[in-house]
Amino acid sequence: MMAGKGFSKIYNMSGGIKAWHNNIAIGPEDLGLALFTGTESPADVLVVAYSLEDGLRDFYLSMAAKVRNPKVKDIFQKLSDIEIKHKERVFEEYLAVTGKIESVQDFEKNMVAAAVEGGLTTEEYINLFQPDFESEIDIISLAMSIEAQALDLYQRAADNTADQKSKAVLHQIAAEEAAHLSQLGRLMDDVVH
Amino acid sequence: MRWKQFFTPVKSIDTDKARALIDENAAQAMTIIDVRQPNEYEASHIPGAKLIPLPDLGNRLAEIDPQKPTLIY
Repeated sequence: MMAGKGFSKIYNMSGGIKAWHNNIAIGPEDLGLALFTGTESPADVLVVAYSLEDGLRDFYLSMAAKVRNPKVKDIFQKLSDIEIKHKERVFEEYLAVTGKIESVQDFEKNMVAAAVEGGLTTEEYINLFQPDFESEIDIISLAMSIEAQALDLYQRAADNTADQKSKAVLHQIAAEEAAHLSQLGRLMDDVVH
Repeated sequence: MRWKQFFTPVKSIDTDKARALIDENAAQAMTIIDVRQPNEYEASHIPGAKLIPLPDLGNRLAEIDPQKPTLIY
């Protein structure tokens, strides 16, 4: 169907999704897209992204305070620190895009509170994956699921956006989420071995 | 004339090669298409995959950039 229409690099994944034992995302096509309506400016996109990263950091911090296993506590602390770096990165991009000179405190007044990364609430993530909160592996798996979901959301939002600059910003954030996913994969390797 | 389709190869790759293809290409440099039904997509899909159910694919090819590598499942 596609081969005769100018598509020259088509790859069919044999075995389909059943054979895919990597990260997955869940939910309908429009999950979380209430946050990205498709009409946002690049600056608006970055405000939403910052809010999502911040929501996730809060979640990790609250979990770090709750769990008993010191190793799990340490993992949650690490995950929270990673989110601080994500937030800094998004804020730098916001300053670059807007040309504004603004403090983080002033910027944070724009934040939108709705969901953590990926368009689901933390409660929805927990219900969905039901992790053992005293298991390092379960916690990293949960974090990887959230990052995969975030990557998916940013990618769908980019597809949905007409403004080319906003699209580029969303693609860039999606690429960063992919890098975060690899980072968590390495953390998992460290814990397993 | 539609003879070209007979000479354009569609490669079948396993999931390891698919994973490598995704890792090699930035998200905006390739397209992942999920051709299953919406409820199957909802249950699980590759992050970043675009849903175009197979029955709709012929009418929605304009949504896919033919210049980019396209992974289909």
